[in-house]
Amino acid sequence: MEKLHSLSLFVNLLPAELAIVDEMLHERHYIKDEVIFDEGEEGKALYIVADGEVLVCRQGAPDSGRIATLGAGTFFGELALLDDAPRSAQVRAAKNSDLIVFFRDDFVSLLDTHSRIASKVARQLARHIGARMRELALKVGAHQHL
Amino acid sequence: MDQRNESGPIVWSAIIAATCLLLLVFQKLLWLVVPFLMGLILYYILYPAAQYFINRGMSRERAAVWTIVLFLMAMVVVLSFMVPWITTHIVDIQASFELYLGSGLLLLKRSLHALEANWSVFAKAHLAETVASKLQASENSIVEYVEPLVMGIAAWTPSLLLAPFLAFFFLKDGRRFKNFLAHAVPNAFFERTLFLLHEVDQTLHAYFTGLMKLAMLDTVTLAAGLWIVGFPNALALGFICAVLALIPYVGTILGGLVVVLVAATNFPDTPAMAYWAILLFIVARLLDDFVYMPLTIGKSLHMHPLVVVLMIFVGGSVAGVSGLMLALPLLGVVMVVGETISKVVTDPRLMARHRYSKELRRKLASADLL
Repeated sequence: MEKLHSLSLFVNLLPAELAIVDEMLHERHYIKDEVIFDEGEEGKALYIVADGEVLVCRQGAPDSGRIATLGAGTFFGELALLDDAPRSAQVRAAKNSDLIVFFRDDFVSLLDTHSRIASKVARQLARHIGARMRELALKVGAHQHL
Repeated sequence: MDQRNESGPIVWSAIIAATCLLLLVFQKLLWLVVPFLMGLILYYILYPAAQYFINRGMSRERAAVWTIVLFLMAMVVVLSFMVPWITTHIVDIQASFELYLGSGLLLLKRSLHALEANWSVFAKAHLAETVASKLQASENSIVEYVEPLVMGIAAWTPSLLLAPFLAFFFLKDGRRFKNFLAHAVPNAFFERTLFLLHEVDQTLHAYFTGLMKLAMLDTVTLAAGLWIVGFPNALALGFICAVLALIPYVGTILGGLVVVLVAATNFPDTPAMAYWAILLFIVARLLDDFVYMPLTIGKSLHMHPLVVVLMIFVGGSVAGVSGLMLALPLLGVVMVVGETISKVVTDPRLMARHRYSKELRRKLASADLL
């Protein structure tokens, strides 16, 4: 539970709220170089790196198409919680990693049953997406609009 | 996105074969299958109540306990009214059955004589005489079957008490069970499988709650119709027929037969009542097919109507009455499981990822052995 609380997505949740979310999460172990998902695949879940490191890259190009490396505490595939859009990149385990998987259908049911918890998670999600957009805008020189 | 209309004839043949096989096995395990199915239905019916308690801030465990306790209390209240009535009437069940059957046969005889009187073709064929002699031959055997059937039902009724017990654990640990199942799925198939598991859950939920809503609508319609025509105990009759109608297709005919027998017994000199009852059942059937079913069950099972009808008859021939009852829900579950497996194992990319993952694990496991 402490491990969950330390994750940025759930940092605002109270212990009782964390227990409810904990029931919805799935733990998976990936070994180094294992593919987590492919570019273009329909996204159904958000992944949180609990331990280890993952590599975000262009499809089939872990070396030449490297986009980012994400460590413990970060999450990826967050757009899958919002819509059915295809994955924009391939993700592989850069090291042996433990991932926590949060499915969109569970997030939607959380919105229905525990809107307070869902709003806290959604807020963190929005912050994260905002930060990503700001980062991207800075890269293309449009920071004055953000 | 509907991912269910891509399965080919091989997958469907396997699904139907697996369903038939399971029906054969389940026929031998009815004492367990029936309570399990009832528990599942109860789970889906009680799920909104449990969810209500969870939304009010209760833990899942406590919500499950409260839901089941309230349900059992409601059952105790209902049974306290029903049991005295049943105990006073159970003794003359066979006598009543013979009385209703006799009245039904009398009505049939009169109707056939009326047909002969109005149509010379039937008179020349001695229709009434022929049918009467055939029915006379089978009448005794029908009565002989009734007692063992009633005794058989009474014998496994106690196992139905398992249903609330199972429903409680489905409510309490359903999610844990889902996670347990998901844990066994390899990484490559995990996301797709979990999505399909969710679909199974949604399908079964829609199917079982739809069935209950359909039974309620049928009860109200039939009770109202029977009351207007002038039948006594219209609500009870409507309820019995609506429950029978849960056995697809055959159930409606059985329900109609029950009402015709009641009409023939209670109104022996008014055959018009039986004809009104038949008309009412035809109207109810049409309402079921064109209004109620789309509103309740809809296309929850995503099956072609021809497959549904064929499967019911196959179920009946493979496993008798239990086959009629179990064929559709079982086919629904086998269909989703079969299609899930077929979609996963026929996806070359997922299979390639799975092989790659296995190879990586094999190398890792044997890294220090070289």
